[in-house]
Amino acid sequence: MRLRYIAFRREGMNNGGKFPHRDACHVLAGIRHRTYSAYTRGIAVHCFRRLFMIRHDVIVLGAGLAGMRAAIEAKRAGVDVAIVSKLHPTRSHSGAAEGGINAALGNATEDSPATHAFDTVKGSDYLGDQDAIEVFAEEAPNDIYELEHMGAVFTRSADGKLAQRPFGAAGAPRTIYSADITGHVLIHVLYEQLIKHEIKVYEEFFATQVVVDGGQCAGVIAWDTQRGGLHAIQANHVILATGGVGRMYYGTTNAFACTGDGMSLAWNAGVPLKDMEFLQFHPTTLKSNGVLITEGCRGEGGYLRNKDGDRFMVGDAPNAMELASRDVVSRAEWKEIADGRGVDGCVMLDLTHLGWKKLQSRLPGSRELAMDYAGVDPIEQPIPVRPGAHYMMGGVDCDVWGETIVPGLWAAGEVACVSIHGANRLGGNSLMETVVFGRRAGQAAAERVKEQGDTGARIEASVLADEDRRIAAIVGNSEGERPGVLREELAKTMYDKAGVYRTEEALAECKDKVVELRERAKTLKIDDHGSIFNTDLTSAIELNSLLECADCLVTSALARKESRGAHSRLDFTERDDDHWLKHTLNWNDNGEVRLDYKPVTITKHQPLARSY
Amino acid sequence: MQDRYAYYPGCLASLSQKELDSSTRAIAKKLEIELVEMPSVTCCGAGDIHEAKPDYYLHISARILGQAEQMGCETILTICNVCTLNLRQANKALQEDKDVLNRVNDNLKQVGAATYQGGVDVRHLLWEVSAGEGYDRFKSIAVKSLEGLKVAPFYGCQILRPAKILGFEDSDRPESLERLIKACGAEPIDYPAKVKCCGFPIVLAREDVALGELVQPLQQATEAGADVIVTPCPLCHLSLDAWQRKAGAFSGNDYQIPILHLAQLLGAAAGIEESELKFKRHVTRLSTEVKAKLQVPSVVGTQA
Amino acid sequence: MTEIKNAHFTTLKGAYDTEKMEATLRVRRYDPETKKSRFDNFTVTIPVTASVLDALDAIKDTHDGTLSYRKSCRMAVCGSCGMRVDGGAALACKTPMKKFVDAGHTITVSPMGNLPVIKDLVVDMAPFWQKIRAVKPYLDTRDADVPEKEWRVDPAAGDQIHKESLCILCGCCVSECNSMESDPDFLGPAALAKAYRFVGDARDKDTRERLRDLNGAHGIWDCTRCYFCNQRCPKHVDPRDAIAKLGAESFKEGFTRDEGAKHAKVFVDSTFKGGYLRETELVPKTIGPVNAIKDIPFALQLARAGKVPNPLSPHKAKDNDEVKRLWKLLEKEAKGQPRRATATHPDAVLGD
Repeated sequence: MRLRYIAFRREGMNNGGKFPHRDACHVLAGIRHRTYSAYTRGIAVHCFRRLFMIRHDVIVLGAGLAGMRAAIEAKRAGVDVAIVSKLHPTRSHSGAAEGGINAALGNATEDSPATHAFDTVKGSDYLGDQDAIEVFAEEAPNDIYELEHMGAVFTRSADGKLAQRPFGAAGAPRTIYSADITGHVLIHVLYEQLIKHEIKVYEEFFATQVVVDGGQCAGVIAWDTQRGGLHAIQANHVILATGGVGRMYYGTTNAFACTGDGMSLAWNAGVPLKDMEFLQFHPTTLKSNGVLITEGCRGEGGYLRNKDGDRFMVGDAPNAMELASRDVVSRAEWKEIADGRGVDGCVMLDLTHLGWKKLQSRLPGSRELAMDYAGVDPIEQPIPVRPGAHYMMGGVDCDVWGETIVPGLWAAGEVACVSIHGANRLGGNSLMETVVFGRRAGQAAAERVKEQGDTGARIEASVLADEDRRIAAIVGNSEGERPGVLREELAKTMYDKAGVYRTEEALAECKDKVVELRERAKTLKIDDHGSIFNTDLTSAIELNSLLECADCLVTSALARKESRGAHSRLDFTERDDDHWLKHTLNWNDNGEVRLDYKPVTITKHQPLARSY
Repeated sequence: MQDRYAYYPGCLASLSQKELDSSTRAIAKKLEIELVEMPSVTCCGAGDIHEAKPDYYLHISARILGQAEQMGCETILTICNVCTLNLRQANKALQEDKDVLNRVNDNLKQVGAATYQGGVDVRHLLWEVSAGEGYDRFKSIAVKSLEGLKVAPFYGCQILRPAKILGFEDSDRPESLERLIKACGAEPIDYPAKVKCCGFPIVLAREDVALGELVQPLQQATEAGADVIVTPCPLCHLSLDAWQRKAGAFSGNDYQIPILHLAQLLGAAAGIEESELKFKRHVTRLSTEVKAKLQVPSVVGTQA
Repeated sequence: MTEIKNAHFTTLKGAYDTEKMEATLRVRRYDPETKKSRFDNFTVTIPVTASVLDALDAIKDTHDGTLSYRKSCRMAVCGSCGMRVDGGAALACKTPMKKFVDAGHTITVSPMGNLPVIKDLVVDMAPFWQKIRAVKPYLDTRDADVPEKEWRVDPAAGDQIHKESLCILCGCCVSECNSMESDPDFLGPAALAKAYRFVGDARDKDTRERLRDLNGAHGIWDCTRCYFCNQRCPKHVDPRDAIAKLGAESFKEGFTRDEGAKHAKVFVDSTFKGGYLRETELVPKTIGPVNAIKDIPFALQLARAGKVPNPLSPHKAKDNDEVKRLWKLLEKEAKGQPRRATATHPDAVLGD
């Protein structure tokens, strides 16, 4: 480190006190990459942008928890891995997770992976694949210990062990946490490991296509947002870890970046999306911008009230009241508001009786969010909240190692559907999923590289040139509507017609609208025709991903004539195991959604009625 | 404003910056406030002790606060930014955590020093005279209008930031010095570096870095046509005044801008004499022109 | 669950009803292709709860699609949208517009300082990341004997680095860092807060190496204590306090050879020797006698103005023996305690 530091100082001086040169940065951090020069093939440059060819063994798309964990594992296995991400790693939305991460450590009370697995199966309304859930619950504890060894700053109990707290629908206090910033702590510890392992990150590179050559994964094509230029990044193995798709909804807890890019890339590469109708709504999100107010507020004793001040949960969950499961509370809230007992489209989360001291010591983050984004100090006034789109249980269809039907194309994290969440996800399971299945995908892809060597799949120069023409056409277009306008129209459509409650009629209208929007989005008005940090271009591509995912969601939801987990039909209110205990698959049929189904894997637990 | 303060001039005003102490005592007399001496206090640590030995810093601060308390004073009056921040920062830590306060008091008791119950506030002269009753009192004694004098206010850092410890005014857009400059009949000059750092804390350890900072207010105030810079902090004063020539050499300029302590500016407007304001104790001397605008008799400080 | 048949339940009443306001923003633009900058004024209609980021979105979606800025989480955790609002760095998503609109004030939005601008409000963060990497930002337990389960860490030891682990690496602290303006190579508040996060971690075994490096040029003693970092930090990390903690750790480990550390030591010694600072000792003891002699012309300037106190009769406060006793007491107390909390191997404790 001493040497690095001196190099840094010298570099600074040579530049006359100006910022050290970019290349010096890598020397400084001891990061010597096999970068641009590693594999460069000549290509006729016939477009106005620069085109590049790069090669790695494994490319990870996305740098959230799943992506970084996958890359670290592949790097440890000794293969040449790089991350391509449209955001700097620590900007990823995994960092927004608050509550915690589930593993049966048994630190608080007795617990076991088998109990964890059963809770997860039951929570999934029996749609989760039980073989995957067993792997998940079994491997979770070791992954937690490893995160701790990497340096994660978890909250400790008095004996110095990792503290564990109770979470909804869990048979034991199983959730490891770091105050109310668990995701933040984890995203930073994995970023630290990226630096330690000297893993190359193509930062602010926006992937536009996953290329399949002769039935094998050949790599990705990505746009360099900062500098402009389209890169063909050759890799026999691509791990998708791009996260969720909440932005298709108006009210959502998700970041602007959660636009289903990876789902769309996979779908267009010929991989089906699975169980897309199952989207979890979180009951307490702010109306202003969808920001999540943690379940902890209710855990600490907060009340939900309607416009008359009544605690309406008494109707649907007289025992659990405000602490009933997420889908139950979301439905009860939705009903109050839709029936005219809300306040400006919200119900009120009342914390005023908790007192200043408790709010300040236990829920400082939530208080700050309410003050910043709702203009309300929860010490004095209740917070207006409503259900918001939170988590996509569905996603890219893959096996327990994350591999899809296209050899060499893998998926992990929210983008994937393994499936362990089935029709409903338990709080604390998603962070754990990113780590367990991120690691497994990284490990499996690396092993495959070693076994197979070069598969010979390539991104041909002509493919890159075609993609360049496609991007140029988007950038060059000044006619039509702005991406932001269409995105808002889509988001309102989805929130109104494919929300917490669904009907045939509303879903049919929704489908028509989505189809119409997909048509209108074919020509978008782009103001920015430049190549440097053109966020006009990237939002146009993101809009396309959102529309494709929305189409899959609404098509699947329209077909599924039952209520299960997060999919709640007013016209089919019961779970129907005889006809619908199966996964939905959405295939891309020349741009249209084609439905298909496949069975659920059941090992130990036969479906039972789900009540808490 | 109160009638009685525990007076904590701090090291510099007692040593190299004696003109600040003298001006402060003179203006306090005019304002009819009693400054109660604190003969057994130490240095506040200037941030250096806080950095090197944080626990020791907390103890000597508690001892200073405790002495004021035992003298029956509710407020310590400071005339230095660094003292203000350091004493207030320790005060906050002691007041907010009873366990810390008890531990510190136990130790103080063991060595026979004054203990502290948490009932003292620390306030800078600037805050006391730029608002409320103190401002009215000052207006009533500001008998000489310093008309035509262009004054560049320089706040310095540690009277503004961090606002959660200081918090007297908007730390990005402070107005207290401007208000007082106007009350003196002079014209405040605006420039961006007025809220930035003078570089003093590192002027010995990292002279080049410090001079790079110091150049900014000197350059900007000069360009804006200021006759003088006024500052509420003796450390900023020392930096702007004594290091002015070095900053000039560093940046290839020849700065000739006199630096006034706040108490000196207030004193001039209140008609206090040069013998108490002691302008001749500055390295950068007042020009005849500026002296005329300050209405200081020209017999003193003949060197321009 | 109550039976519901009504189809109208699919939509929420009043879902999009929101009070609106009109806001004007002055936005700094930079076009990387022409290399020209300018200010543009935009007036947009936004909800009363809108943040500066929402206002920028309204501009981009309805007025000018060429406007570029970074954004993602819009809930002050990802750290993307650091920019200057009226000259002070802040997260755009955490800065509400209403107070400005109510005051009839047109805000000026511009890119963060101390980093090169790429386009409009987007800065090149590469120098920032480079400094983060320079402090070896990962845990080093230097230990082949990693426990099977978690390291045991006392909760109080964990709390020591709580504030520093809140950092989201947004760069707001760096934007107005006065030392970095003057010395672009200064590691800066974000990297140093990150450094303390490991120096203060009970599991880390690389403390001395870390502190040795941080005591060099462009390290902790470059900090000019302008406190802009504490003021700007949107996550209450208080980086300046972290730098001070690194100073204290350096003293504990005996790294006191940097001029900055020597400077601090004069202050410490002065208090129990006499009370107030011994100003005349400050220069020679900080920069050394040789450099002090070189600085004699400067000292003479000061002496002429009466600014050099008599070194032979230094200030002596009343009752200063109390302070001497206090110093001895605390030093003895500190010696009796371990220098820092350490993590323990669970096998050594319970044998599990």
